[in-house]
Amino acid sequence: MMRETRIRRLPVALSALVALALAVLPLPEVVDAFRPDFLVLVVFYWCIESPRAGGLSLAFFSGLALDVIHGVVLGQHALALTLMGAWATHLRLRIRVFSVLSQCLTIFALLTGYQFILFWVDGATGNPVTTFSRWLAPFIGALLWPLLSNVLSKVHER
Amino acid sequence: MVAFRSTDASGRTTGLLFRCVLYSLLALGLIIVDKRYDHLGKIRRLLSVVAYPVQVAVASPFEGWNWFRDSVTTRDVLRADKTKLEAELRVAQFRLQRYEALEAETQRLRALRDNTADVTERFVVGDVMSVDLDAFRERVLVDKGAGDGIYVGQAVLDSGGVFGQVARVGQLTSEVILVSDAAHAIPVQINRNGLRTIAVGTGETNRLKLPYLPTSADVLAGDLLVTSGLGGVFPAGYPVGTIAEVKRDPAQSLADVDVKPAAALDRSKELLFVWLKPQAAELLPPPKPAPVPKK
Repeated sequence: MMRETRIRRLPVALSALVALALAVLPLPEVVDAFRPDFLVLVVFYWCIESPRAGGLSLAFFSGLALDVIHGVVLGQHALALTLMGAWATHLRLRIRVFSVLSQCLTIFALLTGYQFILFWVDGATGNPVTTFSRWLAPFIGALLWPLLSNVLSKVHER
Repeated sequence: MVAFRSTDASGRTTGLLFRCVLYSLLALGLIIVDKRYDHLGKIRRLLSVVAYPVQVAVASPFEGWNWFRDSVTTRDVLRADKTKLEAELRVAQFRLQRYEALEAETQRLRALRDNTADVTERFVVGDVMSVDLDAFRERVLVDKGAGDGIYVGQAVLDSGGVFGQVARVGQLTSEVILVSDAAHAIPVQINRNGLRTIAVGTGETNRLKLPYLPTSADVLAGDLLVTSGLGGVFPAGYPVGTIAEVKRDPAQSLADVDVKPAAALDRSKELLFVWLKPQAAELLPPPKPAPVPKK
């Protein structure tokens, strides 16, 4: 049993690290606003498919890592990712049997909620970012979900 | 509440709500402490060391590619580069001939006015790391940190002019906020007539604006903006940008002035961190205490 839980953690940690690297990968400025939140999608995937492998601890610490790497106020991404990760975990049994389209829509709602909490904390701490383009990331992320969940399930099963 | 408690496949009850509230409160606490107090500087410095390997891992392929491209350039390219650099050097040396004389003259004039501007004491060169920080803020990560003596608020220049200032310092890296960030403002002066104002970033890399100039102000497209040295962060006299466009709407009291930054904000790889020697403060007599009115 102990062995089993230990084996299941490795793909979680690896996928989170890769997603973190993708979050800081330099992109041309035009494309930068369209960058989906890879790490958020990965955290959602593990919350839905295997909540015991990562769960909210994964969500919280991934959020903290994003805070440090993006250089924003500590706890911003951690708060957003914890709340939305909890929501994803709560909905996981339903999301698993959804059609692909419904899954994408649910992920879109979760990502929008995530982005909204970021937006709110930005405003509350006095650095509002009001560009409209920040609301594009949830859209792109939802479109990317089927591909990403397929890749991750391959990693997961292996 | 009951609906939020759920059992997973193994039948174990997970206190999802409990953990959600716990972590959210922890995150909220972090936000408040980080925003209100300055105690998290050390923690953040340590965390930035943990993040360093990820950043290096992401940046290294780009550095490797650049190195590879540099090392396989052909002789013709190198020759062309050399000719170009020699030409630039000739022009620069020609301009430099008068510089010494001008500097001496400036010092004499400043001495006459009993006023010495801040003088650059020393500088350190840092490399911009190939890492994206935040799509919506104009910031870059540089590979020099507290270990090299970098401090928050330090002025950062590149070969063209003023680049920005240090916003946050880690042990090995530091974040530089560009002059074009929407949260950045820099005291400037129009070189032609000495008119002082403040240049504010717009969030677009190649545009600053001067929002506090009246419509009647003497400002023309093409004017050079230099730092005024007020505020004590930036050394005086470094180019900030040139006026790109002046829009005067008679119905408004303020003009709409666009500035093109002098520094190559989106291209510079090497940045200069500057230390200032505050001379003005030493030379000025200490302020006299205000006389207390007696009743």
